[in-house]
Amino acid sequence: MALDYKQIGLKCGLEIHQQLATKKLFCDDPSALRNDKPDFTITRELRPMAGETGQIDIAAVFEKKKRKFYIYEGYKDTTCLVELDEEPPHQINQDALEITLTVARILHCKFPDTVQVMRKTVVDGSNTSAFQRTALIAFDGFIETSFGRVGIQTVCLEEDSGRRITEDQDSVTYRLDRLGIPLIEIATAPDIHTPEQARECAEKLGMLLRSTGKVMRGIGTIRQDLNVSIAGHPRVEIKGVQDLRNMPQIVEKEIERQQVAISSGEKLLPHVRNVKEDLSTKFLRPMPGAARMYPETDHPLIVLDEKHIAGLKLPESFEDKEKRFLKLGLSADLAKQITRDEKVILFETFAKQFANTNANVIASTLLSVENEVKRKLGKEIILTDKQFEGVFHLLNKNKLTKESLLDVFVKVAEGISADDAAKSFEKLSDTDLKKEIEKIKAELKNVPPDKLQGIIIGKLRGRAEPSKIIEALKWQK
Amino acid sequence: MAKVGDRVRVESKDGVHEGTVLPSPENQKNLLMLKLNSGYNIGIKLDKSVKIKVLGTGTKAEPLPTIIQKENKSLPSISLIATGGTIGSRVDYKTGAVQTLMKPQEFIANVPELAQIVNLKKISRPFAVWSENMSHVEWQKIAQEVAKELNAGAEGVIVTHGTDMLHYTAAALSFMLKNLSKPVALVGGQRSSDRGSFDGALNLICAANYCKSEIAEVSLIMHGEDADTYCLAMRGTKVRKLHTSRRDAFRPVNEMPFAKIWKNNFELLNSNYKKRTNEKVVADTKFEPRVALVKFFPGQSPDIIDYYISKKYKGLVIEASGLGHVPIDTKDKKLGWLPKIKKAIDSGMLVCFAPQTLYGGLNQFVYAPARQLHDAGVLYLGDMLPETALVKLGWVLAHAKKPVEAKQLMLANLVGELNPRIPEEAFLY
Repeated sequence: MALDYKQIGLKCGLEIHQQLATKKLFCDDPSALRNDKPDFTITRELRPMAGETGQIDIAAVFEKKKRKFYIYEGYKDTTCLVELDEEPPHQINQDALEITLTVARILHCKFPDTVQVMRKTVVDGSNTSAFQRTALIAFDGFIETSFGRVGIQTVCLEEDSGRRITEDQDSVTYRLDRLGIPLIEIATAPDIHTPEQARECAEKLGMLLRSTGKVMRGIGTIRQDLNVSIAGHPRVEIKGVQDLRNMPQIVEKEIERQQVAISSGEKLLPHVRNVKEDLSTKFLRPMPGAARMYPETDHPLIVLDEKHIAGLKLPESFEDKEKRFLKLGLSADLAKQITRDEKVILFETFAKQFANTNANVIASTLLSVENEVKRKLGKEIILTDKQFEGVFHLLNKNKLTKESLLDVFVKVAEGISADDAAKSFEKLSDTDLKKEIEKIKAELKNVPPDKLQGIIIGKLRGRAEPSKIIEALKWQK
Repeated sequence: MAKVGDRVRVESKDGVHEGTVLPSPENQKNLLMLKLNSGYNIGIKLDKSVKIKVLGTGTKAEPLPTIIQKENKSLPSISLIATGGTIGSRVDYKTGAVQTLMKPQEFIANVPELAQIVNLKKISRPFAVWSENMSHVEWQKIAQEVAKELNAGAEGVIVTHGTDMLHYTAAALSFMLKNLSKPVALVGGQRSSDRGSFDGALNLICAANYCKSEIAEVSLIMHGEDADTYCLAMRGTKVRKLHTSRRDAFRPVNEMPFAKIWKNNFELLNSNYKKRTNEKVVADTKFEPRVALVKFFPGQSPDIIDYYISKKYKGLVIEASGLGHVPIDTKDKKLGWLPKIKKAIDSGMLVCFAPQTLYGGLNQFVYAPARQLHDAGVLYLGDMLPETALVKLGWVLAHAKKPVEAKQLMLANLVGELNPRIPEEAFLY
């Protein structure tokens, strides 16, 4: 039986973190995650500090108990002294600030006259400085959902943390490639009252962010935290919601858990939980204390100019974009899908770059080929912009057929270059096609002629269109 | 009108906000800085439309925990003298962005490890001054305090200090502490003590280890690399800040450090030091402040020397180029330095050259101009660091009875400031 969410007093809020495709927030390094071997490591200690209120933050003490030291991995060409906490922050990245102001405007937010960059204490070692720099850029906005309006409490611009690589009893290793990547953090009011509304709201916020055309794409570039409480239970923050489609189920499971917890009669405290594979959650840490922020004295105040904000160019609406895509010859269905997908920026680039290729092929490949490759290889894969570009380039030059696209992408996903991958699928010239057919025929002397045609079509799939093969066979007879 | 520390409710065109009033920035008195309940600070322009309602008053910075000094007689007793600087500074989160100077008992509370290494018998703070605001007056005061502590039974002394000008103080103490018989450790921090990444913690721990050593020298103890692994003990006259912001900003110049010091380990790298004794330390702090340091640059007019003559300066250190040069045979006669230098020497000024390259020593015999300058009476100070040379000059001029004695003292190696030999491995160590 479906739960009556109103009766149990369900309240949900969302916190969305989206990485921006700019340079890092407080230095000149690129925002690029790397999987090659780091060039150097440094070892640091962090200590809980009687910083701001004279009381050491409880969340900080909790982390401190666990580890002795931290190891940071860096690269000569993409890690500088700022990430290493060896140099004060540079001026906040202006592109990242502009994107944040734009997003806040779409969300109908208000803006302070002056923004102050803050230091938020983090002692899990994920930041070399032991604090995260964050700034409140806007507040008091809203977004519409089909279930009703959801308030936007705050829009912040902050730096991402270091990437946890390994850990042992004494230490945790972080890679500094992620540290300092700009993140927009959007926090909604607890105005979400059903699990489905949570999913819809998160999806809408994601699409809105992508509509700026200046956000990163791929797993981990957007992260959603869910705040869930039912009447009688304090707020629980759930981290690590990867797939939005799972959001309703995660909320359901958390409601169930909270109901059990309430009936146990134990003292309930607000806390943070992590999503497990089965979409239930496990305890992560106590809710951090409230007084964790002090000014980043190394950065000047940021004065926001009303006129400048009012004059910001807002991104094209989804409706307008869809119309434009229809004109490129996209089917209505594909136009709708690609408009709302994170690969929309790639699509726009490639549609222009590879005018010789059917836009429908580009769109449908971008939308589905990763999933198809995943099915073939049995593992999660992400294709880079360059990999897509390489394959489309060959397609555009007529060196590949669209039938062989999936096979080529499978090879590319395994680390083979597009050019090499395409070699075995290169489109055959008429002369080469005839030669290939002769060769196969010679190999298959004992096969009855009526089955020969099917086998040859199968063998040359992707390198020649079936109609051409049939024609060639006829000619040879 | 709401005051700093008041809890207020502010209505403006940007909505309604509750929070605590923070001090306005110096140059923007019409900006209301507010700490919101979320912890974020924002600024609201005060115009006619802004309505402020005071909800409560008097939010004050909460006191910090301080260490309770417990005597532990089984450990060597040392004293700590705090003088200011980043190592003892913090941001007061409640009352705003002002950096305040903490009491030493407060920032040492963040380094509980010290109590396992030494018995901190006395903690004092004769003054709290950023290092760039110091002069010889502060050097004299620190030297007197250090001597007092050592003569009162301390096995060693730690002096905490701002880092910007720390190498000047290190040189000053080296000259002023006569008959030094115990370790003196100068320590700073490149990250303030309210940060989890406070580098001063390791520096203090390693300084405590240094105070237990046999090295009866003034040393600067700071990070040896940008990781929190070990510190270097560097001779006070042979050390310089060579980076604006890194933890390992201080490097030894032309000499190997005395030692590498870990939390639990000590490796001697240079045995050219005075050993611990029971001699009484004398703070011999007389100082002649009319000394100056001039850096030579291409195209520079030597007229600057006239200024120092007119102001009756007693000594001048010129950071000379290369092996010890300033222009002599120039096309434009006005850019030749020899006449002005002669004029300064004739006026009774002691003119010295130190290497602006920092690394390496001067040599007046390689090129002809240097020979002329030397013959005119310029003192070539070998591999002495320019800052050390300036401090030494002020100290020497206050002590020498005659000019010839001052010259002899400047060219003599008093406390390791001049190296008879420069080891190969000391470059960019």
